[in-house]
Formats: sequence, C-alpha cells, structure tokens
Amino acid sequence: MKGEKQRKRPRLSYQRRKSLYGYCFISLWLIGTLLFFLIPLGKSIAYSFSKVSIKPGRIDMDWVGLDNYSYAINKDPQYTDLLEETLIETLWKTPLILIFSLFIAVVLNQKFRGRALARAVFFLPVIIATGPVYEIISGDIKSTGNTGAAQFSTMFRTDIVGDLMRDLGFYGMSERMTSFIATVADNVFGIVWSSGIQILLFLAALQNIPPSAREAAQIEGATAWEYFWKITFPCVSPFILANLIFTVIDSFTNPMNRVMRRIMLFQTEEMNYGLSSAMTWLYFGIVLIAIGAAAAIINRFIYYEFDS
Amino acid sequence: MAESKREIQKQHMAAMSRAERSYVRRTALKRRLWKLFRFLILFGIGFVILYPLLYMISCTFRESGDMTDPTVLWVPRHPTLSIIRETTEAMDFWEALKNTLILNVGCSFVQVVSCALTGYGFARFSFRGKKLLFGIVILMILVPTQVITLPLFFQFRFFGIRGVFSKNLIDTMWTMYLPAMTANGIRSGLMILIFRQFFRGLPRELEDAAYIDGCGPFMTFVRVMVPNALPAFLTVFLFSIVWYWNDYYVSTMFFHNTRTISTMLYNLDSEISLRLFGDATIKMNPREQIVWKQASCLISITPLLIMYTFLQKHFTEGIERSGLVG
Repeated sequence: MKGEKQRKRPRLSYQRRKSLYGYCFISLWLIGTLLFFLIPLGKSIAYSFSKVSIKPGRIDMDWVGLDNYSYAINKDPQYTDLLEETLIETLWKTPLILIFSLFIAVVLNQKFRGRALARAVFFLPVIIATGPVYEIISGDIKSTGNTGAAQFSTMFRTDIVGDLMRDLGFYGMSERMTSFIATVADNVFGIVWSSGIQILLFLAALQNIPPSAREAAQIEGATAWEYFWKITFPCVSPFILANLIFTVIDSFTNPMNRVMRRIMLFQTEEMNYGLSSAMTWLYFGIVLIAIGAAAAIINRFIYYEFDS
Repeated sequence: MAESKREIQKQHMAAMSRAERSYVRRTALKRRLWKLFRFLILFGIGFVILYPLLYMISCTFRESGDMTDPTVLWVPRHPTLSIIRETTEAMDFWEALKNTLILNVGCSFVQVVSCALTGYGFARFSFRGKKLLFGIVILMILVPTQVITLPLFFQFRFFGIRGVFSKNLIDTMWTMYLPAMTANGIRSGLMILIFRQFFRGLPRELEDAAYIDGCGPFMTFVRVMVPNALPAFLTVFLFSIVWYWNDYYVSTMFFHNTRTISTMLYNLDSEISLRLFGDATIKMNPREQIVWKQASCLISITPLLIMYTFLQKHFTEGIERSGLVG
C-alpha cells in the first residue's frame, strides 16, 4: 500500500508538472487573448446592443436592445443592398477561386521547364494582394478604365465574351447566362490576384501525395482524369475546407469590401459606434453561419488519411 | 546518338500492331496539346499578374505629360528619374521606411516568437481546458479584425485598471507591440495554428532525449525544438513581415502621427497634392496623377520584392515542410 502510493505520486506530479509547463508556454497568449481579443469581442457585442457615447475619460453605454440591428436592416439606405451584393459575390467567387487555385496547383505540380519561374510569378500576389498597393492597382484598372490600362481592360471587356459566344454559335443562350459569363470574365483579375495563398496550400497538399500512388495508378492504366478524381482530389480534400474558410475570411478584410467600407464610415466619420458594431456582427454572423453550413457539408466528403 | 535513338524508336513503331501505333500517336499528340494548352494558360495568367507591375515600372520612369500622349504605351517618351525622386520626397519615404522597420518588422519578429511558444504549448502539453482554448485560437482566425478594433481602440485610449489609473496609449508603439508580444497581433491565430501543426510533426524522441539529459522544457524548446523548426520559423516570419508590412487598417486606426509606408500609401492622394503643390485640396487630373501613384506603389513594394526574389524558395517550400499539411 505504502509502496504503491510512493510509486504513484511522482508520476502524478510529473503529469501535473507537464501541464503546468503547458500553461507556462501559452500564458503569454492567454493574457493577450483575454486583453486584446476576448474582452474587446464581448464589448463589441455589448456595443451593438447599446447607444455608445464618449464622455471625457470614459465611454457611456445605454442599453437600447435590438434598435441598432433593426436600424441597420430596415432604415439604413445602403446596408442591406450592399450586404446582399457582397454576400452573393462571395457565394460565387469563392468556389471559382477554389477551382481555379486547385487547377493551377495541379499544373504547377507538373514537371516542365521554367516551373520555378512560373511558381515565383504565381505566388507574387501573396506579397502584394493584402496591402494598399493592390487597392491602387485594381482600382486603377477597374474604375478608371480610360487610363493607360485601357488596353488591359479591353481584354476582359464585357461584349467580347458576348461576341465570342455569338461567333461560336451560342445564339440561344439566355441573357442571364451571358451576363454571368461576362461578369466572370470581368473578374478574372480579382480571382487570379486573390488566390495566391490558396494555390500555395493546394500545392503543398499535392506534394504530400506519395509518388507510389501515381505509379500504381499508371500501371493500372488510369487516365489523368481518373487519377485526378480518384487520387488527387481525395488527398487535397481536407484543404478545400481550409481554403474555403481562408477565402471567405480574406474577403472580409479585403480593402474592396464595400460592406466594411460602409461600416467604417459609421465608425470613423459618423461616430455611431453602436450601429457600426451591430452592422459588423450582422455581417459576420451571416458569414459564420454560411461557413458552418459549408463546413458541415464538405466534411462529409472529406477523406482523411489518418484519423486523428 | 540522337539519330540512333530515333531509329530505335522507328523500329519499335514498325514492330507494333496498328492499334498500338495509333494509341502511341494519340497519346503523343495529347501530350503535346496539353503542353501547348498549359503554356497558354500559364502565360496568360502570368500576364494578368505581371501586367500591373510592368505598368508600374513603365509609369514610374516617365514624365506625367507622357500619360496624356496617346503614342506612349509602354516605353516612355521622356524617360526621367525626377518622378521617383519627387515621390520619395512626398512620401517622406526614408522616415516612413524607418517607422515601418521599427514598427512592422519588429512586431512581426516579436509575434513569431510568441506564436511559436504558444504553438508549442498547444502541440506538446496536455492540460485542462486545452480543447476550449484551442477553440479560441480557431475563433481568432475566424473573427475579422474589424469586429474588435473599436473596443480595442477604446481599450488603448484608456489603458489601465478602471478607477486606478488609465493611460493613453494611442499613437505609441505599444498599440502594436503589446498584441504582438502576446501572440494577438495580425493574423496570429493562423500563425499559432501553423506552429502547432509543425511541432506536432516533429518526433517526440527529440525532446525525450533532452529531458533525460536533464534539460528543462524551456531549454529543450530553445535548444532542441527551435533549431529543428527553423524552416517553419522562416516561413512564418516571412508571411508575418508581409502581413505587417501591408497592414494599413490597424495602423491607421491606432496612429495619427506615425506614418508607415502602408498608411502613407493609403492617404496618397492628399499627401501628394500637399507635398507637391502645397495644398491638399488641389485635385489633379487623375490621368497625370497616375505617374506619382504608380511610382509610390513601386517604391513601397520594392523592399518586399527584393526580399521575395531572394527568399522565394522559403515561401514556397517552407509551407510544404512546415507540416501545415496533414
């Protein structure tokens, strides 16, 4: 009895010591998260339910319930329109970005001359697209098409697609379909520029596919198409979810995001902090629900090599 | 040698049946077509990416009058360096660069260290509430900065304990350094996740050996884990630099007087009018303004581009080895 106790105690304390060390390692983060993340997060929720006014030396909050939310939805002239527009844009742009980046990753994973250069070029947006330079570049090309970028914008001019379609004999195509394709073509620039990191992640996933899988498939006589669906796709499927989340979250912080611009207007110029918080939470809430739903659906189709 | 090779191939083909031959031809054709297609795709998209940069370079070295000259498309008619000189002056480039280096690069360095510690804690130690805490890390990735900036601003404005003391930290470096030091800076959730995944991928024996030799956990981390994790460190550090360098949202929120390169770029229009013509309200012909805009873009990303050309390998290969996969 006594011996057992003695044998047991050090082991327990070792474990406890280890968990203590664990707390030590994350302690910095713990303090920071409490101060700079959780408290502000809670406050931000509180702001959204109240009227915030700044008095010298302190901030006053008066509880107003759901007033801010109802104002944002019912009264604000632009918010709901912008919200709808942005959400729909995210809805169709995200799958396109995912498909595009997966395709490019597959191509960049092949062996060909000049691959290093091609990779260097394709990852270039990673270092530029998050900053103000991107805003200037894309604003320059999009809004003031009459500038020196004219020749560039003609590449993606709307009617070109229509003309091409007509030339190819697609007369009977519905208006909506044509305009959809035209919009896509118009947005090629945006899609290419915002899929740098996604390509990087997919490429990393592709490189983890063992070469033996490729060999086996070749010996069995699988075509490239079959290889893609039976081997490549399952292997990168966990990354589809990660990339999906990354893409959606990135569109939040995108300088071109017009909902956020509207929100910032209330925050910096009109000083209506309660309203701006409510608007942010509404937007964030919708996106969060959408991501959750997408994750639940995608998770059913993900293939995990190791169950962990 | 090539001749004989071709001959052998010919003999080979002759020995095959018709069906085999047509199959070989078909696959060869397919491969060639795919090669062409791949080249076209890569070239086209590469053009879309490089176009703005080439345009930037072309604009930087021309006079603003060249912008309205329809014959000038790419090659400037009046090549000049004065635009770049003026822009450097107008942006107060060296001062801004100094601020950026102190603030953004310093922060990214500090943040990498704190995130590595946190990631290691999550990867190798089990403690109560770990799942919940890691859920918070995921939440940090999901919640956009815009949601919390406002309360954060007030928190820094009246920093301290309510009723005891409060200090105005706005416009001081603390607003950036404090979150970075505590692994709560820009996109820190993502960095913690990368580090955690990476440390989980390293063999446990490494640490066990160090423990048996009487090394404490912190020394083990510094002496054993960090050297092994250097590629991950480099990759995360590079991304961290890029994200901090490009950030203008947080910086404009917390700084009114300190100008970094990004915030300078953000307020470019008024800044250029102010410095060049002495009046911020002067509206220039937008076409002629482009030269300065493009020039300022170019000089502000040049440091990043230089870093990218030298360390490009680590951007692309580091992530593969960082264990973010799987």
